[in-house]
Amino acid sequence: MTGYLLRRALHAVLILIGVSLVTFMLMHLTGDPVTLFVPLDASPEDVAIMRTAMGFDRPLHTQYLDFLGGLVRGDFGDSLRHRQPALELVVERLPATLQLTFLALGFAVLAAIPLGVVAASKRGSGFSLLTYLMGLLGQSMPVFWLGLVLILFFSVNLRLLPASGRGSLAHLLMPALTIGTYSMAMLMRLMRATMMEILSQDFIRTARAKGLSERVVVFKHAMRNALIPVVTVMGLQLGTLLGGAVITETVFSWPGLGRLLIQGFNNRDMAVVQAAVFVMALMIVGANLITDLAYGVLDPRVRYG
Amino acid sequence: MFEDRVRKMDSGVAPSEEVRPENLLWRRARSSFKGNRGAWIGAVLVGLVVFAAVFAPLLAPHDPYEQVLTRSLRPPAWDGGTTEHILGTDHLGRDVLSRVIYGSRISLGVGLGACLVAGTIGTILGLISGFFGGRVDDLVMRIADVQLAFPFILLATAVMFVLGSGLRNVVIVLGITGWVVYGRVVRGEVLAIREEDYVEASVAAGCTRARTITRHVFPNIASSVIVIATLEVARVIIAEASLTFLGLGVDPRIPTWGSMLADGRQYLAGHPWIATFPGLAIMLTVLGINLLGDWLRDTFDPRMMT
Amino acid sequence: MKRRSRTRGIRRIFSLMVVSTIIVIFVAGCGQPPTMSPSAPAEEGPEGEIIIAQGVDATTLDPNMHAETPTNNVNIQIYDSLLMRDSDGELFPGLAESYENLDDNTWEFKLREDVYFHNGEAFDAEAVKFTLDRILDPENSSPQYSHISAIDEVRVVDAHTVHIVTSKPFPTLPSQLVARQIVPPKYTSENGADHLASNPVGTGPYRFVEWVRDEKITLTANEDYWRGMPSIKDVVFRVVPETSTRMAELQTGAVDIIVNVPPHQAESLESSDATYVSRAPSSRVIFVGMVTTQPGPLEDVRVRQALNYGIDVDAIVDNVLMGNGIPLASQPVAEIHHGFDENLAPYPHDPERARELLEEAGYGDGLRLSMDSPSGRYLMDRETSQAVAGQLEAIGVDLDLNIQEWGVYVDKIMSRQLTDLFLLGWGNATFDADATLYPFFRSGQQFCYFESEEMDEKLDAVRETMDMDLRAERFNEIMGVLSEEAPWIFLHQQMDVYGVSDRVEWTARPDELIHAFDARIRADN
Repeated sequence: MTGYLLRRALHAVLILIGVSLVTFMLMHLTGDPVTLFVPLDASPEDVAIMRTAMGFDRPLHTQYLDFLGGLVRGDFGDSLRHRQPALELVVERLPATLQLTFLALGFAVLAAIPLGVVAASKRGSGFSLLTYLMGLLGQSMPVFWLGLVLILFFSVNLRLLPASGRGSLAHLLMPALTIGTYSMAMLMRLMRATMMEILSQDFIRTARAKGLSERVVVFKHAMRNALIPVVTVMGLQLGTLLGGAVITETVFSWPGLGRLLIQGFNNRDMAVVQAAVFVMALMIVGANLITDLAYGVLDPRVRYG
Repeated sequence: MFEDRVRKMDSGVAPSEEVRPENLLWRRARSSFKGNRGAWIGAVLVGLVVFAAVFAPLLAPHDPYEQVLTRSLRPPAWDGGTTEHILGTDHLGRDVLSRVIYGSRISLGVGLGACLVAGTIGTILGLISGFFGGRVDDLVMRIADVQLAFPFILLATAVMFVLGSGLRNVVIVLGITGWVVYGRVVRGEVLAIREEDYVEASVAAGCTRARTITRHVFPNIASSVIVIATLEVARVIIAEASLTFLGLGVDPRIPTWGSMLADGRQYLAGHPWIATFPGLAIMLTVLGINLLGDWLRDTFDPRMMT
Repeated sequence: MKRRSRTRGIRRIFSLMVVSTIIVIFVAGCGQPPTMSPSAPAEEGPEGEIIIAQGVDATTLDPNMHAETPTNNVNIQIYDSLLMRDSDGELFPGLAESYENLDDNTWEFKLREDVYFHNGEAFDAEAVKFTLDRILDPENSSPQYSHISAIDEVRVVDAHTVHIVTSKPFPTLPSQLVARQIVPPKYTSENGADHLASNPVGTGPYRFVEWVRDEKITLTANEDYWRGMPSIKDVVFRVVPETSTRMAELQTGAVDIIVNVPPHQAESLESSDATYVSRAPSSRVIFVGMVTTQPGPLEDVRVRQALNYGIDVDAIVDNVLMGNGIPLASQPVAEIHHGFDENLAPYPHDPERARELLEEAGYGDGLRLSMDSPSGRYLMDRETSQAVAGQLEAIGVDLDLNIQEWGVYVDKIMSRQLTDLFLLGWGNATFDADATLYPFFRSGQQFCYFESEEMDEKLDAVRETMDMDLRAERFNEIMGVLSEEAPWIFLHQQMDVYGVSDRVEWTARPDELIHAFDARIRADN
């Protein structure tokens, strides 16, 4: 176990270094941070003066090594635009991101499990087909579309919920529903598929043969076993949700990590992008590790070698 | 990581039981399709889209590219418009119906193209990784990990920057960003198959590795690749719309459902038809593909849960 | 047995999930109260609250270290500058009571007395010197550096007199000083620039209260303001990036002023009882630049004129912008800019003439050009480029349209990789033609894709002409040449469209700024 954890930790470090290197290269590949920083009519001489002052005239490898040096000390450097330490900007966004993610995931799981069970257990009935189709619809529309339709309906027409922003629980509902719907559909499909497979297995047949009621068979025996892969995928979804909420955050003016990343990227604000990508990658790697460990707890057959 | 484990869960069904998978699977597929209403609905929806794509020039009443600024924002026929433009016109006076019909070509093309790119890269890397193992495997899997931990949008923008915008490059971007799913599943399958008797026999009989892989390993994983591809087509069609939302994507004159939807979103309040019909088209197409995909998965490969 | 232990594990994890979800929800619920709370009870002095929604957040509240309109909109509430502009774009004395030229290169500014920063620090000549020096020091890498790099020295004469010495005549200095807001020297050096950037202290009508990044900035009235007490007590800037969402926020009464209303939705705001629309012709012009400096069809003036004849700007303004634009009078500036030539008229839409000219130039069989364009940077830019492409097709010019992300586009511009045509918007809030002409038509400048020695001489001469009438005359001469040479496809002057709640009285300005000090809350609300 200790060996396994050590190896995973080593992998995590490798992944994080890889991510930071890729980020660094991409940022330099996609444009000159200096030109985006100065006004468009700045003279070439003035641009050159700025470039030297900001340190972008140094060789790329020097810049990257400097960055790594700072990273070891936990220093991502200051944001060019915000004139603040980049890591601070990222950490400020974490509460908003975590709230949205956990509520969305909570909604997704709580809706997906019953929908998946119904869709799998009463195969052939109109009701289960309908449930299944409804669930699938969640994966059939672009997120921004769903978000805007929700705003038009619940805010503009019904005046029930605030259209955007952060503050009360009411502000959280629509964004969480929007971003959770996709995960819900995915988990529902997984739940359905697993349930269908388990329901055809021997121990279920045995249980049925013993004369147990269908309800007991489905809920007591099948569903509990079907939850294992769902928990695993949930872990992976957690990672995706933490970093992948850019569009939902934009539509609902939610001050999360995704928007910070995109704005940082649009401004080619290297320190902010590095810090945001790093924190996201850390969370994803962490979520994966926890998922793997949880899996071991749930399924004793898995050994960590 | 995950796929391997889901597999271990019920490793009772070994792939070796399917020595000639095609025949067996087809029989299973046909019988399972008959009683499956979901699959029927899916087939009808996808059939309609394919029909629209193939016969677009015959079905579309107007040139989807033709702008007439003086007839912009006309409502649909039943909402005060004329039968000239049954679904109305958009903000540049283009016929919405014709654009939705032609859009089926582009969206299906992008979906299939991107999956071809992603599937090819992913399958090749997965085969190599799983078959050779060791350092190669480590390297490929770490690359996959880095990509998974990396924000999609950053990667997409960067690739678009290097390649330039355009339809072909959108296909490449979505392809490059989507290979990991294939790579991991294929690798997992190969790991299981590698130890099978017939593969070992092939190696022992002096077959080259390349021959062993193409003749013995690949046919056994092909069904998984096809199933993933089906599910991925749906994802890619939606991802194209997201790219447009973020200001990337293709020449907006080209009628892709994604760009019609993203460009039409700011008209949603006053002129909803511009975005509603491409939105419906995406929804029904993706629904159809997903229904077919689930059926394929249930039939061919119930163990796969990506 | 195994199975049972597994289920227990699941149950544990499951309940943990549910509990954590509930906790998160409660934590979320205990945040700030909803923004739709009723305004404070009436009292003496400033009253009520307005909420202004912009598309992006301010990046820094250090007013000397940015060059962005949304950021400036927050900073102008907190800080003042030596000279200011009223809602018609006319200069008026700000922190400087008066100014005069001692000679072509020396300006004397007399400063207002008895003005204090929000922290009590006195405003004086040192503050002016400190502010301008920090912009001029390359070590500080201020993006405003290039705007005033012609300043050689800022000299403190006495506590309320400053001399600004320039390296060459700099007639647009007063305009440039409008956007140089004065920071408190003692506060800034004691606490550092980082501190100022998130804890701003100025002399302006509003004091800083709180900044929740990417969410909102809260300000409250400075009752000791030297121009008088502000009418509105609290000002909140909210960040609402998505246009449709911004509309929804205004329509539901959650915000009072929104920027960048899509033109086709303006009507619905006008017809509503709760909202109205305020428009102003902007200092920004939209055009399609042409690369004439490389061998190819655009070298030929006939082709350039043909493209201008081929475009129906009226149709674009009427149908794409819904009337929210003013066609350019075949010159690169608009009426509000000093140097505008009233005698010039827009290129008429004349496809026949366009085809003839193309034929004469040897392109009777058509022509293929590429066009770069940003996406979502200017009002309806994506749609405008498509309309331009559609209209040029009708005169036999096919366009490869390249619509891209702004950062990518800027990089292309700055590395001079533009090929044939490029759509761009140019905001010139100095209200003087120089800031448009010089960067675009003076050889050696970043944007210059139209080079001629004659033009260079003319531009250099006018740049150092201090007499305003002579300046206008020289500009007019240049406009005549440009109109004929057609180095741009002249499109339109942008109209800025704002949505405003009926409970607020406010008028749009040509410089894209929103001064809360000029807004009022209507009595009947």
